[in-house]
Amino acid sequence: MAQQRALSVTEAMTSAKQALETVRVRVIGEVSEFNDKPGYKAAYFTVSDRGSAMPCLMWRDQYEASGVILRCGMLVEITGLFSAYVPKGRMQFQVRALSLAGEGDLRLQVAALAAKLETEGLMRPERKRGLPRYPARIAVVTSPRGKAIHDVLRTLHRRYPLAELLIAGVTVEGEAAPAAIVEGLRAASNCGADVVLLVRGGGSYEDLMPFNSEMVARAVVACPVPVVTGIGHEPDTSIADMVADLRASTPTAAAEAVAPDSIELASVLTRERRALARALQSRVQYAAHRVARLAERSVFSDPHAVLGPAAQAIDSAGMRLSRALPERIARDLQQVAFVRERLLGLGRRLTGPAEAGIGMAAARLHDLSPLAILGRGYSATFGENEVVIRSVGQVSVGDRIRVRVSDGTIATTVSGTEKAEE
Amino acid sequence: MSDTACPKPDSLTFGEALSELDAVVAALEGGQLELEDSLTRYERGVTLLRDLQTRLGEAQQKVTMLIGELESDTSDETGTPEVS
Repeated sequence: MAQQRALSVTEAMTSAKQALETVRVRVIGEVSEFNDKPGYKAAYFTVSDRGSAMPCLMWRDQYEASGVILRCGMLVEITGLFSAYVPKGRMQFQVRALSLAGEGDLRLQVAALAAKLETEGLMRPERKRGLPRYPARIAVVTSPRGKAIHDVLRTLHRRYPLAELLIAGVTVEGEAAPAAIVEGLRAASNCGADVVLLVRGGGSYEDLMPFNSEMVARAVVACPVPVVTGIGHEPDTSIADMVADLRASTPTAAAEAVAPDSIELASVLTRERRALARALQSRVQYAAHRVARLAERSVFSDPHAVLGPAAQAIDSAGMRLSRALPERIARDLQQVAFVRERLLGLGRRLTGPAEAGIGMAAARLHDLSPLAILGRGYSATFGENEVVIRSVGQVSVGDRIRVRVSDGTIATTVSGTEKAEE
Repeated sequence: MSDTACPKPDSLTFGEALSELDAVVAALEGGQLELEDSLTRYERGVTLLRDLQTRLGEAQQKVTMLIGELESDTSDETGTPEVS
């Protein structure tokens, strides 16, 4: 047997790496160390059980795609292959797929999603819509087989046969379920449902996982009409329950929540009928009562009642007038007499000074009077029309003229004229 | 009120007709209406009421499958309506 050539360290480690990479396994273990620094290209962690530990790495893009947020103590299922980091001579397990293992970890995963959706505000009470009181179309998204759909059908048939039911029978378990449920919700709202029931019967926590998927949660939120959930019979609340507009505990309870009870409705209608009749009756009675009250009024029973007050008012006004008139005239006369006296007194006081002035003026006037001048021997000659003759040109021979002297008038005729020399 | 002002009750949904009936009763009970208006509303109320009672009494649930086939319930056949 020929002795093999001694290998370099690199050659040895490289062949070890190649040998290791042929081993592809699926492993369940607990995360005991975890190192995820933002700058690293991979997440580094250790998965261990009581006897052994296994250093693991997972490339960042694959880790982020897994949707798992690792923490120490988590039980995980990892699939991948062994390998070696040649520069450091270190064995490691390259993780290609990572998921949480066991129900406890499912719950952690669900809780993480619930926390995320809550942060987005999708569970806020003010986002929840009220249900229509009398839905014309009720859609049911559920499995077409099993108890849940029949519970819903029976309940709605008993309570509210008026509503049309639209049923989207979809797979509610397994990997295909979330997408099928989303499609069912979409079909329901497209067909004009007023409200959607998303229900399924009880099952294990894992069975109910589709109702914890983010896809279904977002479809419930995006549904244009209110969604009522009735999922399982256990106290677990799924994420679909949390984001639904109303959560009922069972499919039957969900059906009861969306539909009024037709027996109650019938009694509501009976009450309405009585109320309607009573209201009209009382309105008519009120009208009749008012008419009767008006008819009793004296206006309609005694004509004098209408005209009496007016006639009396006229009489009374006449009396006041006849009394008032003479009194008023006497009062006015008295007033007039009084004013007259005052006016006369006032007049006398006004003319006194004027009379004295007039005396003096009359004396001056006398001095200036043409009559006084005539008395001194002058005369004035007037032609026809009493025109004073100032010039020989104003008269012709034969004109009749009058000469005014101090004590009378002389009538004479012009016998000739002679113009004085300038 | 003419026919054009009031939609025929059967053109309303059950909920719409019921809320209109409520409004009619409330208006009548308010007592503020003219007598003629009261009578018209009363007639409208009776029409709505009769229609609602008929609908409730004669309702046959209509079931439409949007997706999938409904499997009959092996535990209890009674009460499950026919699927159209």
